[in-house]
Amino acid sequence: MSRSFSFAIIVYLFFYQHLLAASQFEGFDAEDDDVSEDSSDLHHSLPPPTITQSHSSLPDPETSYSDSNSDLIPELDPEPHSKSKIATPFDFWDEDEFEGLPVEIATAQMLESPLIAENATETVDPDIASIAQDTTVPRRKKKKSYIVEIGCVFFLIALGINYFVGKHENERVALAWAAKFASKDTIFQENFSLLGVGEGEDTPLLLKEALNVFKFYATGRRYCHGLLATMELKSRHDLISRLFNLLVPCEDEITFEVYMNEESMDHVVLAMARKKAAKTMQKEVKDLQRFAGIVSPPAGRKWVSEELGVISESKEVAGDMITDTVLDQVFGDKAMEKYRKNFMSMHISDQHPGKHKKMLLFKFSLPDAKHMDDIVRLVALIPYYIDLVGRYRLSSQARNKTESGRQKAAEEAYKELQNVRQEALQKKKAERKKMMEEAEAKLSAEVIRKKETKERARQVKKAMPKVKMNRSH
Amino acid sequence: MSHSHGNASSANDPRQPSAAKPYTPRPVAPEDLPVDYSGFIAVILGVSGVMFRYKICSWLAIIFCAQSLANMRNMESDLKQISMAMMFAIMGLVTNYLGPNRPAAKK
Repeated sequence: MSRSFSFAIIVYLFFYQHLLAASQFEGFDAEDDDVSEDSSDLHHSLPPPTITQSHSSLPDPETSYSDSNSDLIPELDPEPHSKSKIATPFDFWDEDEFEGLPVEIATAQMLESPLIAENATETVDPDIASIAQDTTVPRRKKKKSYIVEIGCVFFLIALGINYFVGKHENERVALAWAAKFASKDTIFQENFSLLGVGEGEDTPLLLKEALNVFKFYATGRRYCHGLLATMELKSRHDLISRLFNLLVPCEDEITFEVYMNEESMDHVVLAMARKKAAKTMQKEVKDLQRFAGIVSPPAGRKWVSEELGVISESKEVAGDMITDTVLDQVFGDKAMEKYRKNFMSMHISDQHPGKHKKMLLFKFSLPDAKHMDDIVRLVALIPYYIDLVGRYRLSSQARNKTESGRQKAAEEAYKELQNVRQEALQKKKAERKKMMEEAEAKLSAEVIRKKETKERARQVKKAMPKVKMNRSH
Repeated sequence: MSHSHGNASSANDPRQPSAAKPYTPRPVAPEDLPVDYSGFIAVILGVSGVMFRYKICSWLAIIFCAQSLANMRNMESDLKQISMAMMFAIMGLVTNYLGPNRPAAKK
């Protein structure tokens, strides 16, 4: 601590000395009177100098110093303890009075200054010294290990390989699905007139949005505008996601959205999913929350298997939608054993939150590329339900029940729209006002400029006639 | 279900070519896009690797950059963040390995 403090002071003093040395030399060139002034200045601001200053000050005239020596000592006393270590000629005697000694003093001071320099350098580089010492020691003992670098480079290479492998695998799954369900003589080909995204005949069937998201569009059928199938596969191309999926299991999913025509769909709100998922759906999805509730199995008829939950507006609608064929093929007890792992949810609604109101939503989990046949029956549900919902008309009693709820919803939606419109209008008005104000400000600035130019022109004109007067002379 | 296969050629053909609507991709607002967590982590790791001079941070930043590149969907918007993260990570590596403060640890 004291060393560093002393070093700091030495550095400060060093800078000071250089300034003072210059002033001293100036004093020499001038007359003696100036010298005395300079020397007095020097004494007042005198730091305990090192050799350089003592050497330069040797040729100083004696007289002034002998007078002010007494002044010196009390000045130096209040200075910190460490400085007293450094002896200076000014403290004790005048060099010229004592001959023969300066050499010893000089050598003593020479010795001292290297010590001081050493202290200084030590305080500057203790860290580097210790590091140098630390590293030199283990250097002899250990070899530098490159484990981190090797590990990371390996991981990067693994990432790269996995990227291409995973990408290829995802594409294989998507193409297998398309081959089974969207190519020639398949279910979608027979149900929809236009498949794929593009315009002409040879357009690709699937749209690749991302390395693990594929979309399939089909249109041209009665009762609906079109169907959009979105395949969200596992992120096989991303090694870190893959590792994460080992901890948190994930599945390949396919979601079908069918956009129903306005006139084709009556008031139906129905959802079906596995029990837990059904509960969360009922709480989270807006229209289910609003219009429907979990329906218990009615007595006296076949119903879906135990593991599925049904959410519906009314039991009657639920009963009409869940027909016997459906129960036999997919949702009944026997059939569900096969499809239990692939069926995720089904949601039929005419109050769907979002842009398009009347929609059918189906969510299944995809099997691998080789087992695409597992979901044939599930996919076949889709055109069946399109026709069923398209033709279905509610009975008058059920209609009355549903009517009031929907009217309220419609009114609220309308109010919201109006609010939004009003806010937009207000914003526009405020913006217009701002624009007008800015324009006015600009105009007023221009007016001021014009006035100024006019004034200058007037002044010039006033100046002009004088010249004319002179000329007429 | 299975009977729909047989309906293709009969009068019950469900297809209506006249009703075909071309596909319009739904516009996704840029705020709704899924957050690029790996890019974000890459930037943080890269900055910390440069500031605190941890080699591991810079290497992990490069790994996360690579993951973010792999998951990149939008060419324009994501590329800026990824390139920023890459620059930080590479800067971190350069200062760590070729920096002046550690002559003993030169690679």
